[in-house]
Amino acid sequence: MSTPDDTELRDLAAAYVLGALAPEEARAFEAYLASSPEARREVAEYRETAALLALGGDERRPPPELRARVQAAVAATRERPLRVERRSPWRPIAWVGLAAAVLAAVGLGARTRSLGRELAARDSTIAELERRVDELGQGVFDRDAILAAVLSRDVRLVQLTASGNPDPAIQIFWDTARNTALVNAIRLKPPPTGRTYQLWWIRDGKPVPSVTFDVRPDGAGLVRGVSVPSDGVLSAAAVTEEPSGGSQQPTSPILLVGTLPKS
Amino acid sequence: MPSGPHLSAVDSELVARAGAGDERAMTDLYDRYGSVVYTVAYRVVGERADAEEVVVEAFAQAWRDAGRFEAARGSVAAWLTMIARSRALDLVRARGRRERLMASAAGAGPDASASAADPAANPAERTEQDERRRIVRQAMESLSPPQRQAIEMAYFEGLSQSEIAERLGEPLGTVKTRVRLGMQKLRESLRPYFFEPVI
Repeated sequence: MSTPDDTELRDLAAAYVLGALAPEEARAFEAYLASSPEARREVAEYRETAALLALGGDERRPPPELRARVQAAVAATRERPLRVERRSPWRPIAWVGLAAAVLAAVGLGARTRSLGRELAARDSTIAELERRVDELGQGVFDRDAILAAVLSRDVRLVQLTASGNPDPAIQIFWDTARNTALVNAIRLKPPPTGRTYQLWWIRDGKPVPSVTFDVRPDGAGLVRGVSVPSDGVLSAAAVTEEPSGGSQQPTSPILLVGTLPKS
Repeated sequence: MPSGPHLSAVDSELVARAGAGDERAMTDLYDRYGSVVYTVAYRVVGERADAEEVVVEAFAQAWRDAGRFEAARGSVAAWLTMIARSRALDLVRARGRRERLMASAAGAGPDASASAADPAANPAERTEQDERRRIVRQAMESLSPPQRQAIEMAYFEGLSQSEIAERLGEPLGTVKTRVRLGMQKLRESLRPYFFEPVI
């Protein structure tokens, strides 16, 4: 048996389907709906009723060309799965071009142009999303590499710091068994155009050039598989700013430096 | 003529295929319901170019949402018309053309689109749609004019019961009763003609 409250609520079903309830009534009805299979059935019936309402007026038949427009919109709205691999640069252009050709072929004039623009906008959104997925994928890969490097038994950590500036830092995860290192930059200011950062090993008191590297706009950078000299006495590692391509000898003051533990 | 279970099964199958990325399924859905969706859109927006725009948007949305369609909540036709009505009301609201809509509704004459050939629907489906239109018109005519008016204002103009009451200068309770009794009556007369029977 329905309580009087239930009956009152059930009376709202028709107006609910028509979207004619006040917001608070709609909320109360939805709460009731969640608990009442009977009310859900009633709503389903009113939905079917409402679906027929439009047929009560003058008949309107869509123009024949509308079918092609719907097909074009569906094709343009295709949600493609996000892929981690980088797309080749010609693909979005070719895709937009192809879709534009299809639209033009069905003779849609101004609508073609507006759909083309919409399509191009969507394509650029998709490209942006793919770029972000790439970045995220790269981030995960970097973290895996760091984890693998940090968790290895033979790894030693060397910290490079800037004198008097605690902000930028470089961590070198030195795998003494393999003579390789993973270099992780933190909060480094991106170098000016035409310049790059370069790592130096200090062997027997002299700088030995190593890799050059750049950082992302957020100041982070990661270089894997850096060779560490296996001969001589390594005492320290340092970073300078050098012309792009690197130098054989440092051409600018040391920015960050850290001493190496004896291996 | 009401839809048989076979047609309903085909509809659900089409939506499932659309949900899986089959664009042809959307064309099939358009062939079945494009005319109904256009009619809903036209009734709400009141003119041809906007109605076409709404149909395109509605099918694009249906395409995006097909994977989330729940057959338990109603028929494919009810789902499509609900989408079309929402998009159409959005358009009307966004452009603030309610006044124009009222003006055109008052003097609605024949439209070029009404006589346009509809190559999409096959003759059997057209006969079924024609029969439905006749039945729905009859059912609407069986309502009292104030009941019909209240329901049409809610459905086609997107007005709430309070807004209807205000516009008509009638008590809110009166409008609520008209909507409820009118819809009950329509439901009873139209039940055998639902796009899909409610189980």
